[in-house]
Amino acid sequence: MKTTKPTPNKPDSMYEAAPAYPSADSTASRMAKAAAQYGYDGIVIQTREAEYDPAAIAERYGVDVARGIEIHAETPESASGSIGNFRNEYTVLAIRGGTNALNRFAVEQDRVDVLTRPMAGDGNFNHVLARAAVEHGVRVEFDFGPVLRQTGGKRVQALSALRKLRELVAQYDTPYVVSVRPRSHRHLRAPRELRAVGETIGFDPDWIEAGLAEWGRLVARNRERASDSFIAPGVKRGKYEKDDRRTR
Amino acid sequence: MKHLPKHIRPRWRYLAVEIDAPIDASFDRGDFQRELWYSAGNLLGDPGSADADLTVYMFSLTDGRGEAIVRTRRGETGPARAAIACVHAIDDTPVGVRVRGISGTVRACEERYLGRATGAIYENEVAFGGDRRHADCRSDELAIHLPTATVCATQLDIE
Repeated sequence: MKTTKPTPNKPDSMYEAAPAYPSADSTASRMAKAAAQYGYDGIVIQTREAEYDPAAIAERYGVDVARGIEIHAETPESASGSIGNFRNEYTVLAIRGGTNALNRFAVEQDRVDVLTRPMAGDGNFNHVLARAAVEHGVRVEFDFGPVLRQTGGKRVQALSALRKLRELVAQYDTPYVVSVRPRSHRHLRAPRELRAVGETIGFDPDWIEAGLAEWGRLVARNRERASDSFIAPGVKRGKYEKDDRRTR
Repeated sequence: MKHLPKHIRPRWRYLAVEIDAPIDASFDRGDFQRELWYSAGNLLGDPGSADADLTVYMFSLTDGRGEAIVRTRRGETGPARAAIACVHAIDDTPVGVRVRGISGTVRACEERYLGRATGAIYENEVAFGGDRRHADCRSDELAIHLPTATVCATQLDIE
C-alpha cells in the first residue's frame, strides 16, 4: 500500500471533484482511494453530509482530500443563504447550476468558487455570464459525465452544450474546471483517458489537464486564504524577511 | 488466404486494461468486446471505429477484478483510449476501467502490466451508519450491503 505523503499544490497537481455517500454509491475514502489509483493527486469531496477524516485518508492512500460542498438550491435566494452558512466551513464551495437564474446568480458571487453543470437541464450560458465569471473569479465546470456515460440524443445534446461552453470560455478567457461528476468510484477515469476523450470531441488535451489542475489550484488558494497569516491578497502577517531589512 | 509479407502487415499496439466491477459480476470476453465496439461506434463513428479496430485479445475476470488486453492499430492509441474510457457498464453491471499501459507485443504487455494479485475475498459483519451490516471485503475495500443498495467503502469508514 502506498504510504507516501501527499504532495498537494505542486503546480500541476491533478484533482477531481466527487460526491460521496450518502449522495453517491461510494464513501469519501473509497472515492479517494480510486482517485489515487487513477493517478490523481487530490480529490474534492462535494457532499456536506459525508463523514470522513481527510488527514487519515491522505495518510493511508497518499492523496490530498479537500472538504467541499456543492450547494443544490432551487432558487438564487436559498442558494444565497447557503453560501453565507457554509463559505467558512468548506475549502471549495460550488453551486449547482442548471437554470438561467442560478447560473446568473452563481457567476456574480465573489464567494462562489465553482458553477457546476451550467448547461444541464434548462440551463444555458452566454457572453454576459462568461464575462461576469471572469470578473468574479467563478470557475465554470465542464461536465464530462454525459460524454462518458450517455449515448444517443442525450449525448449529442451534451456534446453540443460542451462545445458552446468551450467557445465562450475560450473567447472571454473564463476560468474553468473539468470533472466527470462521478456517482460512484467506478465512474472516475484517469487524466490520460480524459485527455483522449477530450481530443476526440474537439478539446485540446492540455486544456483538459488544466481544467483538472484548476481544482488543485483552487484548493491551494483557499487553504492559504483560510490560514491565520492571511490578511488580504498580497498581504501576510509574519516576520520581516531579512533581505528586505538589509536593503533598507 | 496467404498471409501478408511481414513488412506490409499492419502494426499493432496492445493496451493492458484493468476492469473494476462488483464482486458478483459475471460478464465474459464477448460481453466486454460487444460493449467496447458499441462504445467505439458511438464515440468515434463507423470510420473511426474501423480505424481503431479494437479487439479484445485476452480477458479474465475473477471476483469482480478483470484484466484484458485490447489490440488496436499503431497510431490509433488515443481514440482507443477514449473508447475504452467510455465503457461504463458491461451487461448493465457498472464497471471502472483504466489503461495500465501500452506495449508493442502481447507478451510484453502481459509481462509488464498483467497478472497482478487481487487478494482474497471474505465476508464479514461490520458496523456502518449505526447498524450491523453484511459486507464483502477484499484487502481494505468493502462492499457493504444496505437494505436498498450496496455502498463501496474502505476500512477507514468502519474503524
